[in-house]
Amino acid sequence: MSRSFRGGVHPPHRKKSTEGLPIEHLAAPSVVVIPVQQHIGAPCEPLVAVGDRVLMGQKIADCAARVTAPVHSSVSGKVTAIEMRPHPNGRDTRAIIIENDGLDEKVAGLTPCPDIDLMSREEIIAAVREFGIVGMGGGAFPTHVKLTPPEGVTLDTVLLNGAECEPYLTCDHRVMLEWADDVIYGLRCLMKGAGVEKGMIGVEVNKPDAIATLQKAAESYGNISVVPLKVKYPQGAELQLIDACLGRKVPTGKLPLNVGVIVNNVHTAQAIAQSMKTGMPSVDRVITLSGACVERPGNLLVRVGTLFSDILKERGQKCEPKKLVCGGPMMGLAMYTPEVPVCKCTSGILALSAEEASYEEAMACVRCGKCVDACMMLLHPLFISQYGERGMWERAEEIGALDCRECGACSFICPARRQLTQTIRLAKSDIYANRSKK
Amino acid sequence: MDTNKLTVSSSPHLHAGGSVRSAMLHVLLALAPATVFAVYYFGMTALLTVITGVVAAVAAEAFFLWVMKKPITPVRDGSAAVTGLLLALNLPAGIALWLVAIGAGVAIGIGKLVFGGIGHNPFNPALVGRAVLVISWPARMTAWMGPGLISAATPLAIYRDSGNAGSYRDLFFGFIPGSIGEVSAFLLLVGGLYLLYRQIIDWKIPVTYIGTVAFMMWLLGPEGWFTGDPLFHVLSGGLMLGAFFMATDWTTSPVTKTGRIIMGVGCGLITAVIRLYGGMVEGVSFAILLMNAFTPLIDRYTMGRRFGAR
Amino acid sequence: MSNLKVFTKGLIDENPVFKLLLGMCPVLAVTTAAKNGLGMGLAATAVLLASNIIISMLRKVIPAKIRIPAFIVVIATFVTMVDLVMEAFVPDLHSVLGIFIPLIVVNCIILQRAESFASKNSVFRSFLDGLGMGIGFTIALMILASVREIIGAGTWFGVSLFGASYEPMRLLTSPPGAFITLGLIIGLINVLKPKKA
Repeated sequence: MSRSFRGGVHPPHRKKSTEGLPIEHLAAPSVVVIPVQQHIGAPCEPLVAVGDRVLMGQKIADCAARVTAPVHSSVSGKVTAIEMRPHPNGRDTRAIIIENDGLDEKVAGLTPCPDIDLMSREEIIAAVREFGIVGMGGGAFPTHVKLTPPEGVTLDTVLLNGAECEPYLTCDHRVMLEWADDVIYGLRCLMKGAGVEKGMIGVEVNKPDAIATLQKAAESYGNISVVPLKVKYPQGAELQLIDACLGRKVPTGKLPLNVGVIVNNVHTAQAIAQSMKTGMPSVDRVITLSGACVERPGNLLVRVGTLFSDILKERGQKCEPKKLVCGGPMMGLAMYTPEVPVCKCTSGILALSAEEASYEEAMACVRCGKCVDACMMLLHPLFISQYGERGMWERAEEIGALDCRECGACSFICPARRQLTQTIRLAKSDIYANRSKK
Repeated sequence: MDTNKLTVSSSPHLHAGGSVRSAMLHVLLALAPATVFAVYYFGMTALLTVITGVVAAVAAEAFFLWVMKKPITPVRDGSAAVTGLLLALNLPAGIALWLVAIGAGVAIGIGKLVFGGIGHNPFNPALVGRAVLVISWPARMTAWMGPGLISAATPLAIYRDSGNAGSYRDLFFGFIPGSIGEVSAFLLLVGGLYLLYRQIIDWKIPVTYIGTVAFMMWLLGPEGWFTGDPLFHVLSGGLMLGAFFMATDWTTSPVTKTGRIIMGVGCGLITAVIRLYGGMVEGVSFAILLMNAFTPLIDRYTMGRRFGAR
Repeated sequence: MSNLKVFTKGLIDENPVFKLLLGMCPVLAVTTAAKNGLGMGLAATAVLLASNIIISMLRKVIPAKIRIPAFIVVIATFVTMVDLVMEAFVPDLHSVLGIFIPLIVVNCIILQRAESFASKNSVFRSFLDGLGMGIGFTIALMILASVREIIGAGTWFGVSLFGASYEPMRLLTSPPGAFITLGLIIGLINVLKPKKA
């Protein structure tokens, strides 16, 4: 039986066009744009200067802060500029631009780590940091920070998120299917790094092949289990995943670690395993390229820093996209330009046609209550949005505006086409702005 | 790629595809069997009443919007047509058409647009229209007809006077005098199930409403505790029409899960009290109007625990 | 404020019923027929006029702390007079208006004019104010009562307007009809009157 959570919606999957396509290596572009910030936390400082020759895997930016992750070069070549460039998060960010010499010459000193049984917990955490591993599901939280919880917190489970509930995206599916052993190895690294005995992988049942492959790969590890999950959006939301797999509800305002769990994406685990085995830091990842406007969609292994425009050019374009989305269609961000680079957390590039990204004028709320039934946090989006629009922030906060995870289910289901997620997002920022004023 | 053509907007970038307009069309479709039966049973007069109701409601909405210098595009959402149809179905067969038109105008004008149009009205507009007609022209509004437009008492009135429930089969399939749309419990049930299947209405309100009426009528029977006839009360009067099509009105019913149960139970209790002790033999429409008034309050106090609330 | 303005403001700009929404109890209760509305309006006008004049005269004598009881005594005196006069000369109307005549004592229009105008202004200006407010009140009652009587009963001052075949809309002569009609009239006035900048 598959497990799930209360609320949620059933968006069209639209995974058919890519779920059967094996991961393809995309040739490295002639120029990569590598932002110095690809993670939540402090931005890194460049360690190289314009004109330097850098090698593949060379650390090119780092920072002394605790919550941060170093950045490595994904190609070998010459640094031609360090300047502000568009970032998938919508803001211009400092980026290191490297002209690829096509040699993929690796930096000296990349040595595989010993088997994890021979490594201490501290060594694993240090390795994860040095490899620049961040959450690859979209959160981009530095993984080594998750492995070092604050005093007084006891962890007992590492949960891998293989739900991939966002429509279109199939990259995690392919990673689980093709690199199941790496996923399990990465999970074991995370378990040892976090000092816990229990590992779980939650996968939606629309990926039975992935579930079977992972179960087979995990056979010899009694403390690792694969949990089939109901197909429902947002099954991959951290709190709902923990609820479904472990039956634990993270209290309002707390983190998963407060209930003894850390959650990581399956691709993150795979990336850890890959780096451990080769010594090569996190410099590439699998993305799903999809949407009706893409000539040849697929699951592509691309270098970090490859521009969306290069990928789209390479794979062809059938029509003029109405929207270019970074990530999944439910929570991803719409890009204003294709000149943005793939970051470590970029899970997908969607070139959506006008039909796919349908838009209609909003009308008055008709109080149908569908958003209430859809909300995974058991909130009342219609009221929060209305209080927010009227500037009644205190009331919006009282009824749980800050609990909203912006999954988009309410806007998705609203028959009056109200932009509930957007107005709640605004209400949240207003509440925070008001707080800081006081 | 022409970057000027890229739309930048807040997520989500997909939509389920439903709209208020399509929901309203489904409601019209769900009411179609009962309406067709009414035309077959009562004759062309029923058809004229229905057409007058729908046309007058739509025309009234367009007219009032025009008077208020607002865009008249909201007429296209179909909610005025639903209001007009529901009003017509709540009227006795053979009623004067000018009365239907006034009712529809009042329903749209005073029941809906004065509050700001769709989504803002506190009371079900069709029932506001009906209430105004009942208060203003009580004799005409209680002149119930059987087929062939022969005056006849409704089963509820006969039951109250003589305790005679009549044939359950006639009650179920609708071969009884009554308002145009309420007679066939069976076809209303079919329509209601269609709306449930389409996920336009929630099961909680109709189930708790009908359940409460049945229980109360059984409990407070004519010969003491638990001697009532729940089946008769469920099949007679406007209960099916009210429970499936009017108490479930999106705008005027609660949005919370608990709230919907309270709405259904409240409507059931008020209906039972009116049928048992009231001056009128039927109380569905006033029960729903009364509960409409409590809807904002119910919503406010039944929000329940949020995920992770301690 | 000019004397003219003192008089005219009660008619529309500060109409006690449509603009200030004062004295709603008699407004809603007695306006089932134009005759009742007129009677009520005139009775209230008489009291208002007389009380405004007297209170204005006494405004320097009445100590501030007990001014409200003092006003009430003056108003009650005139209400009693009007009540008795009406009972003597128009007993039919008196019996229809019933309790609402004595209740003029607590009608907030009269007390409000005493408090906010007559106690601060000269006798002549208080007279103009009382007259304007009284006429405004009467006009408002007349409009409301006429609409309700014509549509709700098919008559005006008891005279049948549309013949026997007219079926009146009973709602308007019932209590909810009073609220609905008043709301619609106020809405209409707000729409027609150009908004002040």
